[in-house]
Formats: sequence, structure tokens, C-alpha cells
Amino acid sequence: MPKSKAKGRISRRKFIEGTGVAVVAATAAPAIHAQSPPETAPGVPHTAIRVTVNGKAQRIEVEDRWSIAEMLRDHLGLTGTKIGCDRGECGACTVLLDGKPVYSCSNLAVWADGRTIQTVEGLARGDELDPLQHAFIEHDAPQCGFCTSGQLMSAKALLNSNAHPTREEVQAAMTGNICRCSNYNRYVEAVLAAAAMPAGKRSNSTAGRKRAKQGGLS
Amino acid sequence: MSETLKPLKTVGHPTPRIDALERVTGAGHYTGDVKLPGMLYARVLRSPHAHARIRKIDVSKAEALPGVKAVVTLENCNFVWGAGSVAGGIQYNDEIKKNTRQRRHAFNNPVRFVGDPVAAVAATDRHIAEDALHLIAVDYEVLPHVLEPEEALKPGAPQIWPEGNFALNPRNEQQPMGQKRGNVEEGFRASDHVFEDRYSTAFVHNAQMEPRACVAQWEGDKLTVYTPTGGIANCRHDIARDLGLPDDNVRVICQYMGGNFGNKNQNQDADLITASLAKLAGAPVKLELSRKEDFIGMHGRWPTVQYYKVGVSNDGTLKAIQLRGFSGMGGYRKNSGAIGGIECYQCPNIETVITPVYTNKTVSGNFRGPEYPQGYFGIQSMMDDVAYKMKMDPVDFVLKNMTRKANDSAEYTNYTLEECIRRGAEAFEWKKRWRQSPGSDPGPVKRGAGFAFMSFRSGVGHSNAILRVDSKGRYFVHVGVTDVGAGAKTTMGLIAAEALEVPLSQIEVVWGDTGRCPFSVGESGSRTTIMTGHAVIEAAQDLKKQIAEKGLPKGSDFLTASAGPTPRIQGGKVRNTFGAHFVEVEVDTELGRAHVTKYLCVHDCGRVMNPLTGISQIKGGAIMGIGMALHEDLVYDRASGAPLSAGYYGARISTHRDVPDVEVMFIESDDGYGPYGAKSMGESSKVPAVAAVGNAVFNAIGRRMKDLPITKDKIIGALA
Repeated sequence: MPKSKAKGRISRRKFIEGTGVAVVAATAAPAIHAQSPPETAPGVPHTAIRVTVNGKAQRIEVEDRWSIAEMLRDHLGLTGTKIGCDRGECGACTVLLDGKPVYSCSNLAVWADGRTIQTVEGLARGDELDPLQHAFIEHDAPQCGFCTSGQLMSAKALLNSNAHPTREEVQAAMTGNICRCSNYNRYVEAVLAAAAMPAGKRSNSTAGRKRAKQGGLS
Repeated sequence: MSETLKPLKTVGHPTPRIDALERVTGAGHYTGDVKLPGMLYARVLRSPHAHARIRKIDVSKAEALPGVKAVVTLENCNFVWGAGSVAGGIQYNDEIKKNTRQRRHAFNNPVRFVGDPVAAVAATDRHIAEDALHLIAVDYEVLPHVLEPEEALKPGAPQIWPEGNFALNPRNEQQPMGQKRGNVEEGFRASDHVFEDRYSTAFVHNAQMEPRACVAQWEGDKLTVYTPTGGIANCRHDIARDLGLPDDNVRVICQYMGGNFGNKNQNQDADLITASLAKLAGAPVKLELSRKEDFIGMHGRWPTVQYYKVGVSNDGTLKAIQLRGFSGMGGYRKNSGAIGGIECYQCPNIETVITPVYTNKTVSGNFRGPEYPQGYFGIQSMMDDVAYKMKMDPVDFVLKNMTRKANDSAEYTNYTLEECIRRGAEAFEWKKRWRQSPGSDPGPVKRGAGFAFMSFRSGVGHSNAILRVDSKGRYFVHVGVTDVGAGAKTTMGLIAAEALEVPLSQIEVVWGDTGRCPFSVGESGSRTTIMTGHAVIEAAQDLKKQIAEKGLPKGSDFLTASAGPTPRIQGGKVRNTFGAHFVEVEVDTELGRAHVTKYLCVHDCGRVMNPLTGISQIKGGAIMGIGMALHEDLVYDRASGAPLSAGYYGARISTHRDVPDVEVMFIESDDGYGPYGAKSMGESSKVPAVAAVGNAVFNAIGRRMKDLPITKDKIIGALA
């Protein structure tokens, strides 16, 4: 009787390790004061890491198998970072790790030890939107919005290193961010507009719009 | 010709989305962001075989894994998924869902494609759920499979359903779809020239950015489902019917949705599976599909094979068109499998015979203009070819033969097709860019221009809206839209503001929750603006009347108005939207690479409610069409029947660097129907795009590319 067996599938950790990047030692150091309550599953290797997320230094206990995306979304409540493919193809999960854009689905949370992460939630300063966010609103860059956080973070990294990119440079820098609504023209327009925005105009003017009602979610 | 539209106060002005802030700050809550106390995580085990009978499923080891709270298979979750096989694309007809013989369940035996769900697990952690899948032992009897529709119809082909591979229609008959006018045989006899050819199109996946997810929570016999759907009302009704609950016991919530692109105005098997797990586990459950599962377990555009025969007279007038088409439906007939496009030509004799065929591929369903982009590619490539053979400019050929009345008989409510084509040709500089002699550019890199046009449904129909005003003059617009990305929330707000004569800032749109919103037709078929928008206007007029009579309410009171109009088109007319796309491509004949260098869309969408989001819609559809024309494909291994390219990279979805700047030109008209003259928009720009690109490639290289996608290997092969 032929039985289908679960093939020896590779775990996320093994897969990511296999990409050749050094892995932080996975010895489980006890957390002194975890910022979020320890939600790690019993019996699963976990590690206490220090990580600065959106300017806030914190020490948290992470399972060694968590990706950065998983840590952000499920354990730090930062759901603005989206998971579109969970395998490094679409860019929806892009965050800045020490200022560089990375696919947070393809980086382990333990690798973030001692590093800084910036997510879409950390783009605005208080009530003041980032010029990119302004430009994204005014140029209708998000359609469904699911890829938008990733597009913003890739654009942010680009403008940090190249304040006045050409159209081609924008397309090249963001080509790892797929938009199935195919609003690519708008994204490029918006990034160029943000780059061209004079510093004085980068205040929070249009975002004074009342937040739309969002009931129904627990 | 179009008349000048009277400008309005709010509608028609470029306006940022009312929820743009949420979309750029990460504050919008999509289904996958929902987290409920005590929530479990679910994963689905899917068939690794294209066609197999399940002898036995042993879930005991999975159930014994610590943390696993529920396991479902076809033995304890045997719900019929009505919208999974509606035998003919009749989405909203409960009788048909009851009567059809070829029903799809949440879990099926035999399994009919790689990815057909076999079991599902809910556990305290998604990693435990994933581990548990590996502990489920399934004993399969592997059956022979067939992947291509024409092969599936041959005698001796593997039988996917007991009745055969010719998919049954709603009356459980094997009847091809089609239309007939005049007599094609007489038409061919009366023709001076008769041309025949075969075109084929590939399976392309919706590939919306948000992978399917679902959260289900039971409170007694009441069920709340968070799920990505463009039609909360239809989704709720489908879930209730399939689970045997009254509609009122089900609440569907979709606050933000990461793209739709078709076949999401109903429930999905994921909803039934998640609800079953949640019931069994006694806890809320979140099911998350991986990207690969979304590619193989959901649906995409049906692949087609199209045989055309076209008769013309010496002066290039169409005399007869015949189409024999075959559509690959996958293992279940989720939607019709029709092939559209012939209706956009004026011709006395037409005959189409289209056979929907079961195959062991991923299920096909509606995807942005369900039967049109692939059908238009076929017929408009064919006609483009006929034009060249008749030594005519393709634009002149179309101006001679395009539809002027619907089905050559019914008047359109207004007609701007000719204007779209003429103005587009002028703005694009068609005469300059089009090569009279295809492939004549010297050197290995050749340019050429192509065009295609469309005439696309834009009907009116029933929808509801409820408007309320409080003592402070705040207006609440309750509409059952989700806003899948097209901007429906904002459009409804603009329409309400216009009709109420108040600024948009006084409007609060309440959406995406059957607990708070009335019926809406749902975001499919490019209907929301027209149908729900019309309901908003009617409710607004009622509310204005009430305010005029009674003044604004006092204290905590509200005034409320509700409308559910079912407008109809008068005088037997047909309401369509029109457009034309002009494309210039550059083909590197040594590398086989085709690249779009210029793209112009001209559309008459009636009055454009919000030019800012409207332009985005048109651009998006055109760019999707370029991808479908040049690279998108879900490739299968013929030996195993397994999909090989399920994912963004493998299926070659367009990226930033693949796309040109798409220019959009609107011709605005008001035919007296639709809210302030709005016509349909969402699907329309994908419809002619694929054909336009294909025609441009022909003009550049002088070889007719008849099989999608027009990849590098095919171009090099054609030139060899």
C-alpha cells in the first residue's frame, strides 16, 4: 500500500541558515525583563535579544525560528509590515535593518540582536508624516495598500542614500517590491515627488484628514 | 460624440482616498492582522497528486501532537462549497448550487488537482500546525491525469468526473456555450477571402498581494468571519447556506483587503474550513495560506484554445466569424469558462461554440474581465492579422468593422468607440509609429505599434445604502463595500457629499461589515460605483428631504434614510463602456525580449468620479495586461501534473522595471444612467491590453505570436 510520507521538509531556520548568513548563537539566555510577555512555545529554543524598533530599545525573548516579520507582527503588534509571500519574492515585508532594506520574512529575529529596525509605523515623527507618506497619499500610490509598507521602506532606504534619484534609480531600488494592482507608475511618481519636496513643505498638512472609522476589530 | 459634462462640486475632482492615511502608516487592518484572544492558527494539507483517490487518512499522530486542538478532513467536515463549483458561473443562484451534480466540497475525494485540500489542522501556534501536517498519513491511489482541455476531450482520456470531462452546465447537461446570428456557412460562401487560425492563452493567477487568510469565531451558534472578500453580503450568504445557518447568524467583516481581481465576491473553501476548525476546537481560528497555496489552491484566469474562421469581402467588410473554443476549468467549474470578444465586431453571421473542460490543473475562476482579456487576445489578434492580409491599416479595418450596435441590433445608451479610437490614434501618432511593412526596421532591435479596442458591459442594477445624520451634521454612509483597492470607500463618500451638498469632511463611510452595512452588489463585475453609488444618491435625496422637513435631529437622535433602487435601462438599449489602447514595443530579436516603450489608453468610463484613483485603475489594468501578454504563466510538469512556477518569481509577475509609463486619456460622457453618469471602469483596461501588446509585437517583428505568453523563447523560435 503506497503511503505518502511527509518529506523531510526543511524548516525556516534551516533554510535561512542555508543562505550562508552567520547566525547568532541560539543559546537560550533567560530574559530579565522581557518587554512583551514571553509568548514563546514551551520546548522551543528561544533567545533573549536586544533590539531597537522604531527608536525604542527593547529586550525581548524570541523563538529562534521566528522571522523578523513574525516577531514584528505577532509579538510586537506592528502589523503594518505585511507578509505577501513569506519567501523573499514580493517585498511586502520590507523593513530597514540598520538602515538597509531587508525582506523581514527572510531574516531571523535572533539576527536582529543588537541592531535597529525601522518599520512603516516608525516613518512618521509623531503626527508629522514622512515626505514619502505625504507623496504616497497625494499621488495615490497605494491601491489595495498591501504592498505599500514595503514600497515605503524601500523608497526610504533609497532616499537616505540618494536624496535625488532618477526615475530609473527609483525603479531599480524598488524592483524587489511587487505591486499586483500594478500601480508602479504612481509609486515612482510619488518617490520622485517626495525627493523634490522642499524641506519646509514636509509638514503634516494633508494628513490632518480625520481618520476613517475602523470599528469591528478586536 | 461626447457632450461637455457639467462640472460638479465634489465628484470628478482628484481626491486622495479617505483612508489613504491608514494605507501609508500601516494602520489598516487586513484579515491577517486580526488577532483574537485565545486564537489558534491553522494550516491546510493539500494533495501532492494531480488526480488521486484517497483510500484512507490517518490523523491520529497529528491529533496527539501537543498544541494541536482540531483536525478536519472530509470525514468530519463535509460541507458542500456552493461557490466552488457553480456549474456555469451562476454565482448567486442557490437552486443551482443545490441541483448541480458536480459539487465541490470543502474537502473532496477524489482529489482533482495538486493543491486540492485534504485536511486542516488548528494548533496553538502556526509552527505546531505546520509540524502537524507532516504527521497526517494519507493513503492515495494515484489516478492518471490530464492537463490540457483538448486532450481531456479525447476518447480514453482520464475521467475527472463520472459524467466525463465536458463540464456540465447548470441544468446538468453537456452543452457548449455560444451565440449564433445569421448563418456562418452562407457567410463564408459569400466571402471573397476566408482565414483560419488557432490562438491559445495561459493560466494566469490573480496573485493579489494579500495571501488568503481567514479568522473565524463562534459565539454559540453565531459565527463571525474575517475574510478577504469584495462582497461581504454575498460571502455571508454563501457561508450561511453552506454551513446550514440562517444568514443572520453569520457576520462577515473585511475592513481592508489586499487586492481582489475577481472571484472573491463570495465565500471560499478557506472560510468553511476555518469555521469548522473553530467549531471543533471551541476557539477562534486563523487560517493563513502560503503564497504557493494561494497560487495553486485558489484560482486564476482560465486558459483557452481558440480556433477562428473569418470571412471578409474584397473591401475588408466582415461577412462571417466562427469560433470554436475550449476552456480549461481545472478540477471544478468555478465559473463559466466563456470566451468573449466577437461581439465587438459588426458582422451579419457569427457562431461561437465554447466547451468548458475539466482538467487536473488549478481551478479557473473569474479574473478581472473573466472571459475577455483572453478572448480579446484571440479575436483581435486574428482580426489584426486579417487586416494585414487584406493590406489594410488595422485601425481602418476596425473603424470599418467595429460594433455600432450591441449584437448588431440594440442601440447603445451612448456610443463613443469611434471617438476613442480616432482620438487615441491621433494622440499616439499612430501613422508615424505603425510600420506599414511589419518587421521592416533594420537591425536587430525593431519597433512596432499595435492597437486593440473594447466595448465592455456597464449595466445598472440593485444595491442598497443607508445614510444617517446626527445632530452635529455628521453624515454616516453605510455601504456594503470592502474597497479592494479601487477606492470604493472614497467614491461612495464623494457621491454622498455631492448628493447631500456637504463637504467630504462631514462624511463618515461605514463599510466592510455585514453587522453594520446593508446589501451591496459586491466588488466584482465593475459594478460598485454604478450600483451602490446609485443607492447612495437615492438615500441622500431622501435624507435631504427629511432634513428640509424636520431640520437636523436633536441631541442623540439620528435621521435615517435607506434606499435599494433597481434601475433599468430603458428602450431595450445596452449600456457599454468603450476604449482603445495603443502600444509601441521594442523587440530585441537577438535576445527575444519584447519591451513596451509607449502605451496610451483612451477610455470612456462615463463621468470619472475621482480622476486620481481612476487613472490608477486604468494604468493598473493595462500593466497587468502587458504581463499577461509577455510573461505571466503557471507552468505545469506534464509527467506529474504539478505546477512548477507557483509564486511571484516563477509566474513572472511584473515588477517596477518591467513596466512603461502608461498614459491615460478619458473621454467623459453622460448617457443619463449611473450615478452622475459613471460607467464601469475596474476591469475594462485589462480587456484590450493583451491583444494590443500582441499586435504591436507582430508589427515589430512580422511574426504573429499566437500562444500566450509571448516569451523570449517563442519570439526567437518564431524568427528562427
